[in-house]
Amino acid sequence: MVDGRGGLRPHWRTLLGAFSALGADGLAARARRLDRAFEEEGVTSLLPGVSTGAQRWRCDPIPLPIPEGEFAEIETGLAQRARLLEAVLQDIYGRQELLADGVLPPALVFANPCFLRAGCRRSEDAAPMMQFYAADLVRGPDGAWRVLADRTAGAGGVGYARENRRLLAQVIPEAFRPMQVRQLRPFFDVWQDALHRLAPPGRRNPIVALLTQGIADPQWFEHMFLSRELSCALVEGGDLTVRGGEVFLKTLRGLQQVDVLLRRMDGRMLDPLELETRSLQGVSGLLNAARHGTVRIANDAGSGALEAPAFAAFLPALCMRLLGEGLAMASVPTMWLGEAQARALVQQDPGRWLIRPAVDGKAHALAPMLMEPAIRQALLGRIEERPREWAASAGIPPSVVPCLGESGMVPKSLVLRVFMVFDGTRWRAMQGGLARVLDSPDQLAGGLPKGGTSKDVWVLTEDRADIVGPAALAIPTLQLRRTSGDLPSRVADNLFWLGRYVERLEHRARLVRAVTGRLSRGAAIMPRELAELNVLSRCLTEAAVIDNEDAGIGAIATLTDALFASTRDTGAIGANFASVARLTERVRDRLTGDMYATFTQTLRAARECVSDIGHSLDGLASGMIAIMRFSAAVAGVAAENMVRGGGWLFLDLGRRIERAQAVASEVAFALDMPAPRIEAGLRLVLELCDSAITYRSRYMNVLQPAPVLDLVLADQGNPRGLAFQLARMRTRLGELGDEGSPRDMLAGFAAGLLAEVEALVDKVLAAENQSVAAAAIPPSLHAVSDGIASLSDRITRRYFALLPAVQAVGMSGQMADLRGAA
Amino acid sequence: MHHVTSYAYATPVDLASHMLHLTPRGLDWQRVISSAIEVSPGQSRMSVGIDHFGNQVAWLFLEVPHDRFVVTASAEVEVEFPAPPGAETTLPWEQVAVAAAAGRAEGWQAAEFIFDSPMLPAEPAAGAYAAQSFPPGRPVLEGLLELTARIRREFSFKAGVSNLHTPVSRTLSQRAGVCQDFTHLMIASLRALGLPARYVSGYLRTKPPPGTTVRRGVDQSHAWVGAWLGPAHGWVDLDPTNDLVVRDEHVVLAWGRDYGDISPVRGLILGGGKHSVTVGVDLEPV
Repeated sequence: MVDGRGGLRPHWRTLLGAFSALGADGLAARARRLDRAFEEEGVTSLLPGVSTGAQRWRCDPIPLPIPEGEFAEIETGLAQRARLLEAVLQDIYGRQELLADGVLPPALVFANPCFLRAGCRRSEDAAPMMQFYAADLVRGPDGAWRVLADRTAGAGGVGYARENRRLLAQVIPEAFRPMQVRQLRPFFDVWQDALHRLAPPGRRNPIVALLTQGIADPQWFEHMFLSRELSCALVEGGDLTVRGGEVFLKTLRGLQQVDVLLRRMDGRMLDPLELETRSLQGVSGLLNAARHGTVRIANDAGSGALEAPAFAAFLPALCMRLLGEGLAMASVPTMWLGEAQARALVQQDPGRWLIRPAVDGKAHALAPMLMEPAIRQALLGRIEERPREWAASAGIPPSVVPCLGESGMVPKSLVLRVFMVFDGTRWRAMQGGLARVLDSPDQLAGGLPKGGTSKDVWVLTEDRADIVGPAALAIPTLQLRRTSGDLPSRVADNLFWLGRYVERLEHRARLVRAVTGRLSRGAAIMPRELAELNVLSRCLTEAAVIDNEDAGIGAIATLTDALFASTRDTGAIGANFASVARLTERVRDRLTGDMYATFTQTLRAARECVSDIGHSLDGLASGMIAIMRFSAAVAGVAAENMVRGGGWLFLDLGRRIERAQAVASEVAFALDMPAPRIEAGLRLVLELCDSAITYRSRYMNVLQPAPVLDLVLADQGNPRGLAFQLARMRTRLGELGDEGSPRDMLAGFAAGLLAEVEALVDKVLAAENQSVAAAAIPPSLHAVSDGIASLSDRITRRYFALLPAVQAVGMSGQMADLRGAA
Repeated sequence: MHHVTSYAYATPVDLASHMLHLTPRGLDWQRVISSAIEVSPGQSRMSVGIDHFGNQVAWLFLEVPHDRFVVTASAEVEVEFPAPPGAETTLPWEQVAVAAAAGRAEGWQAAEFIFDSPMLPAEPAAGAYAAQSFPPGRPVLEGLLELTARIRREFSFKAGVSNLHTPVSRTLSQRAGVCQDFTHLMIASLRALGLPARYVSGYLRTKPPPGTTVRRGVDQSHAWVGAWLGPAHGWVDLDPTNDLVVRDEHVVLAWGRDYGDISPVRGLILGGGKHSVTVGVDLEPV
């Protein structure tokens, strides 16, 4: 930020001016708002490189400004580097002349875990292997940017960069006013278009899918973000299948051909048939399909090989040889320690170097300068033993920039990641990037670190009149696209179960609240209430909230304890929370940001409320109310925001099935008492089905079996009643049925259940003694409940394609220690 | 030559893909007169190609439910490996190691076989075992022949004491195994010294030439070692299971860094439950 004479560089002066106008307190408040915004977006726990635990993702409010001239130099330099790396890839996966001519030592290729022998091309296949490239840059004391790491496999961070910009603009809009900042969006348009152009010839409206490991991937957030930004399907290995040499996505409507895969998964896991790992997350036969050109993979499975740090030592020579020009954008001085002179330099003065594994781009650097002498000596010994496995980069001190600390600005050094995409003709940079703040020099190399702070990167246009929009960037004419609305079976499955679990949670909360209301009256429990508690205990047992032995009459203390236990993490309600949270995360790519925020915030609030209940019945009751509020929020958000397509259908179907089962069995338990006492059961039925007020408004205070049962079982207008659920199921299943198949089979099954229930109520109405007739229906209701369970099974089998487990036969290579690509 | 591999599954397999290394490799000293692969069930898709190491590969995709999978490879080949050079005329072993590590025109292809591979991580004990046969300056082939003989002498051929994933350290400690274990052991030993060594898979003639001892490893897939003698003499094939320099009793299917690169049949199946596999090999002189 400072020029050679210690003065502030002009773009920093303008920028800091804008921020100082906010005042120290104002800035701190904005920083807090920024943190909160990130939390609400759910970006917090998903920093690349973090596999477990919640790690905070923060964005410093002060951006990193880069004048456009300076950024243009970076872009030109990296474009050349990308061309160079592409040419190196083409050679090592093709004719291997660089090895034969001794330009590259064999160790960099043959001992490289990301060099995939199955990716070698015998034929002269001219298709580029790299479409996306990123580089990590540092700026030395001389002000020059140098490349610390090349990311050729599909580097993370582009989604975070975009998120930084969006939220910063939202929280500190005034900072953008005095300057003209280049937009990030055009980059995604170019990228999306490039992906479509990659499709095999002759495919109209190609389908692009982003292949991810799913929720287990630390970059899951970014994958969801990209799939939206680039309008492509988000798929996991299990969603794809190779048939007849072509790749298909399993959707509710059957198999749909995939033309281009945006690979966001370690290349070594792509195809368990051909690659060395035993990982079954890939798609068997995928490489064979790619070899025959029926699907394109970007970046190519083997592109990660060039992330090996030692390549940097050879790039100047490779550039002269392959491109016939000098390397414009230098690397941080790097040596491969397989060479004796290089080793001697390191032995001479180890403190000047950062030591990195030669072929593992993800490993963090070792910093001898920070080591105890004994440990440093041991490291030098390891290098002597197997020298070709090591590389050394000069430990240059990166320049510092101001960051907001606890008390005002503090200087910190940073690494800048710049993203490039090949549009078919040339490489273009995203006009910005992801800058991350370093806490220690050994964080310099390697993949993105476990945590920390990032900065938005502003490419500044000096001429204020030059307002850069997509048009000004001369983007080639975009091809028309149609997004594919076909739902992968896995997503439908997750939504269905999310619906079921949310409803189950609500149902359990309602039951617990009904019990706490009675228990909190203390010693004066009436015999009638005891009978009700008995019924409620049976309902709670059925809903798996409590165990059988806690349900005995009179054992009130035991029951109370069991209820509290159920809310703990190991209890039924606690576990229910975890299932809902897990499924919400899995279907996150199907929810808008607002919907996701509503889901997670109300869920978190309910969870906090429940974990705070201590040992008071009042607390328990309010915890349950918080759960009901969460459930209502989900229902409201789904009803008002979700397009009535496949996804919503399954969410709704899940809820209806769960509620229908609950109503049927609760009514059965409540009516399971001697006919003369049936009135108590009817009262309880109205309470559990939240229908007491409706009943009173219809029939005043006269309680009779047929009207009660009509309201809770047969009235299709009562959303808490059974008929409503069954009728909705029938409608949804009818909507899902596809042409030509026995479309009404499942819908017909639901209709049959509805007719059965209506007949039950008619029978009670026609009976001479309604009480006796009502007391006789529990077995029939249990049968209806079983029928609903069987409908759920049929839906699962029909739509979620129960696939048998994949197994390896003949040979499965030992799981090689996965290292390499970042 | 006939090689029959058959899988029987407890429950039907819905979908299967297999990668086969079952076609003999054409070489200057091995002429493939004819070769064929037959598969049951018949409705399957096969594509053929050449792998990274230059071996013939076939990919099979079975998309009909089946509870039995049989693949039969047949071929007619003519084999006559060239005679190895005089052992004393070969380079000192250290120079071979240097030439390989340097790569370049002479050594780069051999260099691929000096590094650790997925099934053969570095094993210092194997290096120590081999070192006895490689005193400083010894011509490389002399050391190789002695090592081959030592393995044959010091290890007993015993089926059932090892499996596909038996590590070299285990073979060393139990002093027993089958051809695959001895081959892996010898490769790991040589690589520990920096000498290029590759895994060769193939077959051994069912009936040995008259007047010779009974061979081990007939009637099944066999494996032996390819070792590099330096730029001038190239590769020589050595069979540590039988203490033989390979000449005319062996048929080469494929070579790679270890078994994993070239296992004859490897696949992934959907469903199938438990499975059993039987393999039969028959190699008759024509």
